[in-house]
Amino acid sequence: MMIEPIDLRQPRHGTPPKLQVEQLSKSFGSSSGSVQALAPFDLSVEAGDFLCVVGPSGCGKTTLLNIVAGFESPTSGSVYVDGKPVTGPGADRGVVFQQGALFNWMTILDNVAFGPRSTGFSQSVARQKAMELLELVGLSAFAKKYPYQLSGGMQQRVGIARALANNPQMLLMDEPFAALDQQTRELLQEEIRSIWQRTNKTILWITHSIEEALLLATHIIVMTARPGRTKASFVSPFARSSDPHVASSMEFAAAKRTIFQLLRGEAKQAQQMEEVP
Amino acid sequence: MTAATHKLAELDDVTVQHILGRRDRRLTFLTFAAILGVWTAVTGSGLWEPLIRPMFLPSPVAVAETFWQLLQTGYQGRSLAHHVAVSLYRFATAFLICILVGVPVGLLMGTSRRIRAVVEPPIQAIRPIPKLALLPLFLIWFGIGNLSKIIVIAAPVFPLIAISSMQAVRSVSAKKIQAAQSLGASRFTIFRRILLPASLPGIFTGIRVSISIGVTMLVGAELTATSDGIAWMALTAAEYLMTNVVLVAVLIMALLGYGLDRLFLLIETSIVHWTGKD
Ligand SMILES: Nc1ncnc2c1ncn2[C@@H]1O[C@H](COP(=O)(O)OP(=O)(O)O)[C@@H](O)[C@H]1O
Ligand SMILES: [Mg+2]
Repeated sequence: MMIEPIDLRQPRHGTPPKLQVEQLSKSFGSSSGSVQALAPFDLSVEAGDFLCVVGPSGCGKTTLLNIVAGFESPTSGSVYVDGKPVTGPGADRGVVFQQGALFNWMTILDNVAFGPRSTGFSQSVARQKAMELLELVGLSAFAKKYPYQLSGGMQQRVGIARALANNPQMLLMDEPFAALDQQTRELLQEEIRSIWQRTNKTILWITHSIEEALLLATHIIVMTARPGRTKASFVSPFARSSDPHVASSMEFAAAKRTIFQLLRGEAKQAQQMEEVP
Repeated sequence: MTAATHKLAELDDVTVQHILGRRDRRLTFLTFAAILGVWTAVTGSGLWEPLIRPMFLPSPVAVAETFWQLLQTGYQGRSLAHHVAVSLYRFATAFLICILVGVPVGLLMGTSRRIRAVVEPPIQAIRPIPKLALLPLFLIWFGIGNLSKIIVIAAPVFPLIAISSMQAVRSVSAKKIQAAQSLGASRFTIFRRILLPASLPGIFTGIRVSISIGVTMLVGAELTATSDGIAWMALTAAEYLMTNVVLVAVLIMALLGYGLDRLFLLIETSIVHWTGKD
């Protein structure tokens, strides 16, 4: 059991992939010049893949996710979901943010019901769906609370339930657990893994934790320093392992070392880039 | 964290807040008691020689007596209640118009760049003009009745409420809007269920800030061309060096400002429980 290099730029099955990113680049213009966040970037994600993106900070991970979510438009290149070009945000792609994206003026129940309500379901049906999802993430007892009354870990669970409420086939998550403490993070990783296994959703997950990537992902992309492009990509076996102690295995440690080595060089370069403006 | 421990943590938070709240209130009370104490001490209150002559600062007891007298006999042919009511009417009408028009205008400016491009420049251009300087003009345009007074009070309050409402909308976090978009919300739904509630705390802050400005403008509005009103009472009493009456009127205005601020705070806390929770 080991991570194996794999080319994730082209579709791996005959059919169109769930997500196809073609020659995607993004530059941000400012008065002091423009910053190229993403180099022409190709990526193909098949339905049911759990893809983790790791890379030094500032390499364009969030930019990539924002473009796939439809929040930002690319400078060049295009993004296709199920073969259709992405032109803006849509209910077919659920997004989970790091923190601060819950609606504090709505109860937990209404936060989760917001998606179904916005996509045409009646209040009572939307709330019923929301209640089922709150049960899934173990928060049904808190349905009438407001987000700010919950701990950080619970808030992230609400965010996940909310993103699932429209039953999107794809989930986009930008370092969703980065602000949580170690214990809560491990618990939630376990939960997201079981949700993914049960629902077979396609997940694009950004993280700066190599361990998290190895635990959750079926595929891992290591990005270069800015402008972000693929440095290496792997298929990873650990997420499908039934061994609860897989993280303490020799293979896991070896895989961690491999990715760490790749990242370290890029992180150094990213740091130098910040020092020389 | 289990449900039980969470409940406990929450309870703790509530009790801590409650105790702090009580302590805070005790401190506030002490401040007022201290002010009253110093006031009594320097004016003697009939118990000892005043350090400050009553013409400059009458004692609290004398002011209370004057208040009692004014309540019974009124001031310049009209009851004290009439003076308070007429001022309150001018202030409240101006304020209500500012809220009813200023908040929607601000919300529209905050949501639409085009509307902002049309509406904001004139508002910003008017902002630095000292509005009291326009009172003579308003008197010519709108007559010496209540209308000119209402307009002079509204003149600085309106831009303040409109601009602060606009800023409240514009400072709604992009993440929340993006979250709503990716959940399939339409533009209208985003306005009604995200932008509007998320900017309410900022709107209330704008309203509360403008209360003191409104009260200040009330004094300006009653400077001339009137024969009633609580500020007019203070201004005319000052001409005859009736410091007692001036103080009663000033205290009533202070109470008015404070009362209105508390009132809006009460309305705010009863509907926008999420203030400061981001
Ligand atoms: N809206 C923006 N305007 C200007 N520069 C931006 C903007 N968003 C991101 N950038 C820049 O693009 C680069 C990549 O950012 P980001 O995608 O957030 O990186 P990551 O998520 O990998 O840390 C960074 O150098 C960042 O400063
Ligand atoms: Mg990022």
